[in-house]
Amino acid sequence: MTTYTICVFTENTIGILNKITTIFTRRRINIDSLTVSETERKGISRFTIVIRHESREAVEKLVRQIRKIIEVLAVFGYLNDDIAYNEIAMFKISTPIGAKPLDIETINKVYKAWVVYWHLTYVIIQKTGTEEEIFEFFNYIKPHEILEFVRSGRVAVSKSPQTLVDYLPEAEWEYYM
Amino acid sequence: MEFNENQTQTTGIAEQPVSVAAPELINGSHALIQSLIIEGVKTIFGYPGGAIMPVYDAIYDYQEQIDHILVRHEQGAAHAAEGFARITGEVGICLATSGPGATNLVTGIADAIIDSTPMVCIVGQVGSHLLGTDAFQETDIMGVTIPITKWNYQITNPDEIPEIIAKAFYIAKSGRPGPVLIDITKDAQLKLMSKPFDYKKCEKLLSYRPRLSPKEEQVEAAAKLINESKRPFLFFGHGVQIAHAEKELLQFIEKTDVPAASTLLGLSSVSVDHPNYVGWLGMHGNYGTNVLTNQCDLIIAIGMRFDDRVTGDLSRYAKQAKVIHIEIDPAEIDKIKKADAPVVGDAKRALEMLLPLVKENNHEAWRAEFKKFDSIEDEKITQPELAPTTEKIKMAEVIRTLSNKTKGEAVVVADVGQHQMMTARYYQFKKPNSFITSGGLGTMGYALPAAFGAKVGAPDREVVAIIGDGCFQMTIQELGTIAQSGLPVKIIILNNNFLGMVRQWQQLFHQKRYSFVELQNPDFITIAKGFGIDGHTCGAREDLNDSLDKMLASDKPYLLEVLVEKEENVFPMVPTGACVADIRLE
Repeated sequence: MTTYTICVFTENTIGILNKITTIFTRRRINIDSLTVSETERKGISRFTIVIRHESREAVEKLVRQIRKIIEVLAVFGYLNDDIAYNEIAMFKISTPIGAKPLDIETINKVYKAWVVYWHLTYVIIQKTGTEEEIFEFFNYIKPHEILEFVRSGRVAVSKSPQTLVDYLPEAEWEYYM
Repeated sequence: MEFNENQTQTTGIAEQPVSVAAPELINGSHALIQSLIIEGVKTIFGYPGGAIMPVYDAIYDYQEQIDHILVRHEQGAAHAAEGFARITGEVGICLATSGPGATNLVTGIADAIIDSTPMVCIVGQVGSHLLGTDAFQETDIMGVTIPITKWNYQITNPDEIPEIIAKAFYIAKSGRPGPVLIDITKDAQLKLMSKPFDYKKCEKLLSYRPRLSPKEEQVEAAAKLINESKRPFLFFGHGVQIAHAEKELLQFIEKTDVPAASTLLGLSSVSVDHPNYVGWLGMHGNYGTNVLTNQCDLIIAIGMRFDDRVTGDLSRYAKQAKVIHIEIDPAEIDKIKKADAPVVGDAKRALEMLLPLVKENNHEAWRAEFKKFDSIEDEKITQPELAPTTEKIKMAEVIRTLSNKTKGEAVVVADVGQHQMMTARYYQFKKPNSFITSGGLGTMGYALPAAFGAKVGAPDREVVAIIGDGCFQMTIQELGTIAQSGLPVKIIILNNNFLGMVRQWQQLFHQKRYSFVELQNPDFITIAKGFGIDGHTCGAREDLNDSLDKMLASDKPYLLEVLVEKEENVFPMVPTGACVADIRLE
């Protein structure tokens, strides 16, 4: 199984998510993670979809099918080496009176994680990194009681110097801010 | 266009007081119909209902410009629009209400996407304030049709209508054509536009840019393979007809002298009389075309998509051959069969560019190999089918007699099953754009409404529907539509009192366990007469000639029921999962 990151640029209109995911469903490809947000360009959304698949050919076919959706401007399939990528995770850790105290210094310096909220009986720690780094920290923090854990989908940017504008030179681009 | 100036009437809807509005402002329904008129729509196949009533009210005012044909079931509207689109090359239009009206279109939409048929379906929707409340006749038709439309869109504001309709037409007919569904909420139909109606045809979209002219280097690479090939074999599909590339295809075939075979939907693009035409491909295609697929050294595939009914077992399909794939949809390249030389573009443009690059050639010896197989097929199958000794009439003789009587120039619309395969085998197509059938989806019940739609689109051509007794009962109600129109659609039912193709498979692969395939049929002629359509039954071979003559001579719709052999099989046959070279003759 190889991990593929598929970046889809679309017009930002209602229902596109459905149009994209149905292409995965029909081919029985499970989505590991999915993130959507508006890009630096007004009205253009960016989907980052992570899947695992044994066949590169099948992923290429999938990418071509996604490209057929009318609202889709461009689709790129990447291997991990082609991209810079990250995820964000949040841990709600129980800190009842009398429990072993958290080693904030290790958490900050070794794991590059930060406490973002304190409560009398718990703290919320935020950790950014790859899936592996997040689970490394997960294993470290596990002896403390994890009340809640959430991990975002991957966000990724290609290492290629080209940008979307290079692929669609005729578009009238407008920054949205 | 002059519609802005001429538009004095605003709306006839009681719910929407018109007196307060500025006279140049029109409501969504009028905007919709005017948009259709600007797109050149003259015919709509539709069925009214609650959520589409404002549009129907508007149509009432435009009856001189637009002919609305009332079908008997929305599925009939969809297939009629498909038949119309297939024969004219224009976009077929259907109109239906929300909920069941829209879901009844679904089979036709699914049929249109897989057979690349341009269609715009306009459906009503509950008022936008009711969306998501399970309102009366509310269905999430957007969600339902995502996988089966080329594009779909929900309009909730009348101001969007001109732009969205323009986009719908552009998307439906450009590139690889397909169905588009536009869902319009009732309030968007009723409300006045906030600005004067202004229509601009859509000519391009940022996010959708079909490539018409292929890249030169792709064409050059293809030409090189063609010029080097000793045993090239050309396959042509529906894409040739869609691109109107029949003339260019002939020039190409004649210059290169390649043998050419058709897919099911390619039939009629090259005349059966042409010396380079070697037959058709696939499960019930010809003997030579299938066997020699595995002996050629180059496949030149034009506007076809290597359907599994064409390839059989892919792991043993044309492994020895290089492949040129000329195709407008880039997603089809390498989807099934890996292409050594893909040429992405319109079939007509690709052939025009290819023509000066290929050398004149002579492949007589290679083409003669097909003839050897033809004579075996002729002796073992075709001759016995056409001159049978059975008591009952056989399907093949009906089709061939019809072919002779219509000089191979009628528009033949076949339904799905044995009679479809027999039509493809025995009708001798001599004129392009003459065969309409449900290829990809295999939609039983397609032919009757599609033949009607084809007749509406080509009233000067003889249109004959070939339908099985099973298929006929799936859309039988469209006899009413045909009768009301008075158009002389000719209908032949090949009645064997069986779901013949399923029965054939049960005989061959399920030890004759005939599970639910025998039909107790109604009296079709009485039914037709009930609808006001004349007809008669032919049960004896000696009456077949006169029966067909009588049907063809009629200037009204006519139903001819032919009682055929109950348990006949279609051969040759490449059973599912078998290799094309292992095609069975019995």
